[in-house]
Amino acid sequence: MTGKAKTASMAGSVLKLSTLAAVYVIGVLLARQAFQDSLTEPAALPPATQATAPLSRVTAGGVTLTSVNIDFPNDDQPYTGPGAEVMNANCTACHSANMALNQPRLSPADWKAEVDKMRGTYKATVADKDVPAILKYLNAMSARLPADGAPAPGAPSGSASSASG
Amino acid sequence: MNGAHGSGGVSNRRDFLLRAGVFGAASLATSAWADQLVDLALPGGPSARPLTDAFVGKDGMILQRTRPPLLETPMSVFDQGVFTPNDRFFVRWHWANIPTAVDVTSFRLAVRGHVGRPLSITLAQLLAMPRVQLAAINQCSGNSRGLFQPRVAGGQWAHGAMGNAKWVGVSLRYILDLAGVQAGATAVRFSGLDEPVVPTGPKFAKSLAIDHARDGEVMVAFLMNGEQLPLLNGFPVRLIVPGWYSTYWVKMLNDIEVLDQPDDNYWMARAYKIPDTPLANVAPGAKGFPAVPINRMIPRAWVTNPVDGARVAMQPRLSVGGIAMGGDAGVAKVDVSADHGRSWTAASLGPDEGKYSFRRFDLTAPVPGPGPLALMARCTNTAGVVQSLTPNWNPGGFMRGCIETTHVVLG
Repeated sequence: MTGKAKTASMAGSVLKLSTLAAVYVIGVLLARQAFQDSLTEPAALPPATQATAPLSRVTAGGVTLTSVNIDFPNDDQPYTGPGAEVMNANCTACHSANMALNQPRLSPADWKAEVDKMRGTYKATVADKDVPAILKYLNAMSARLPADGAPAPGAPSGSASSASG
Repeated sequence: MNGAHGSGGVSNRRDFLLRAGVFGAASLATSAWADQLVDLALPGGPSARPLTDAFVGKDGMILQRTRPPLLETPMSVFDQGVFTPNDRFFVRWHWANIPTAVDVTSFRLAVRGHVGRPLSITLAQLLAMPRVQLAAINQCSGNSRGLFQPRVAGGQWAHGAMGNAKWVGVSLRYILDLAGVQAGATAVRFSGLDEPVVPTGPKFAKSLAIDHARDGEVMVAFLMNGEQLPLLNGFPVRLIVPGWYSTYWVKMLNDIEVLDQPDDNYWMARAYKIPDTPLANVAPGAKGFPAVPINRMIPRAWVTNPVDGARVAMQPRLSVGGIAMGGDAGVAKVDVSADHGRSWTAASLGPDEGKYSFRRFDLTAPVPGPGPLALMARCTNTAGVVQSLTPNWNPGGFMRGCIETTHVVLG
């Protein structure tokens, strides 16, 4: 990134942050996220420049690539219900709530393995004291779902692993 | 496609709510920007997902996760052609720290490590290099994970975490030769502009064995179906690894590192590991099995017409069509069954777009009288691998490859 672009990026980040603060009154966490992003995204340009500054292009061999500058949609679906506060405070920094809300019925051991993976492998900053409340919320969520359609005898309801994808 | 409901079928919100009694209130809280819901018919649920147009460059996508985005392609898209339009192509990211802007003039692709001449390649330089082109399916390792029984944790995809495109770019071998791979190189590691949200978290990176990286088919692509890649699919360049699962198809690729030892990074050594067994299959609950990094894809096929859950007017012969893939080989044959796999009829195959592409199949099949009808499609690839009726299972929910069933009602 050139020095000029970097300056523009930093100035834009301030703009971006103040816009976020104005628009998303509930967005304390979002604003923190946006600020973190602005510090680490080398190519980030402020949305405010999108309408005015033409996007740069590179052309060679009959192909033109045009710079891209978009916004991602707001993450507007928090955890709800009893115990939601600890979920929104700990889990939404890395992923939106619908990741957990879309999970099938998992056993308490599976949920513990998931929370352990988020903390141990992905380094989520979750305090020890919050873990029981997080597990309580997740287990209550699973308890509202019907049991598996055809569980194998003696099999767990699902087996959390370090898998991904 | 694995249930009586319309997988990927769109219903309006009221209809959905009327038949969605099993879902908790939390999972029904929908976004202001999603006014339609789809029912993915995942066994045991939750099965409802919003259909969203909220992501720039994407339309009509099944919202699995907002941030980092997991967007699934509805099955109806695959009935419209073997190539998946860029604005309907599925999206999957690991970390939420994804650049929302990329400047094509300042972007650089680094080639470094165990090479004679480290490179910092501009896009203008990349566009001026000799080009290669091929059609290839990009399929998530966990595609169809939501249909695993017993269910497993992870992205709860139905069948739409896949897409097929014509890719244009530069052979990775050409780029590696420019840098001069040194003797003793073992693997090549790839990473992109996305970064961990937590700085100490494992940055996403994948690697290929050096001989694979230099096979001439692996590509650094800058065109997708004739256009620049959508940002969400990895603009400005992504790796194309034909016949292999998309975890290797690194997006926003800006770093190529030649290694002289095995890659022990988390995403190779611990994540995306499958049982070292045929079809990566183990008994549910099994532990302690040898595991290897996921690799080559296997044959699959889906009836996309009629659509799952449809009610079809009774007719003595029913038009049936769909798409098939051979995995790491071409599609040799597709058979269709209307009697739960007791008898099979060969379908006619559409144009061959290359062995890594989807291939259309069609036939008119004699059907029994009115009532529920289960349509199955079975692919045999050019290496002779045939899909099985029995689902494969593993704790990661990877590599589903069994014969899939489309349920319709005649009459």
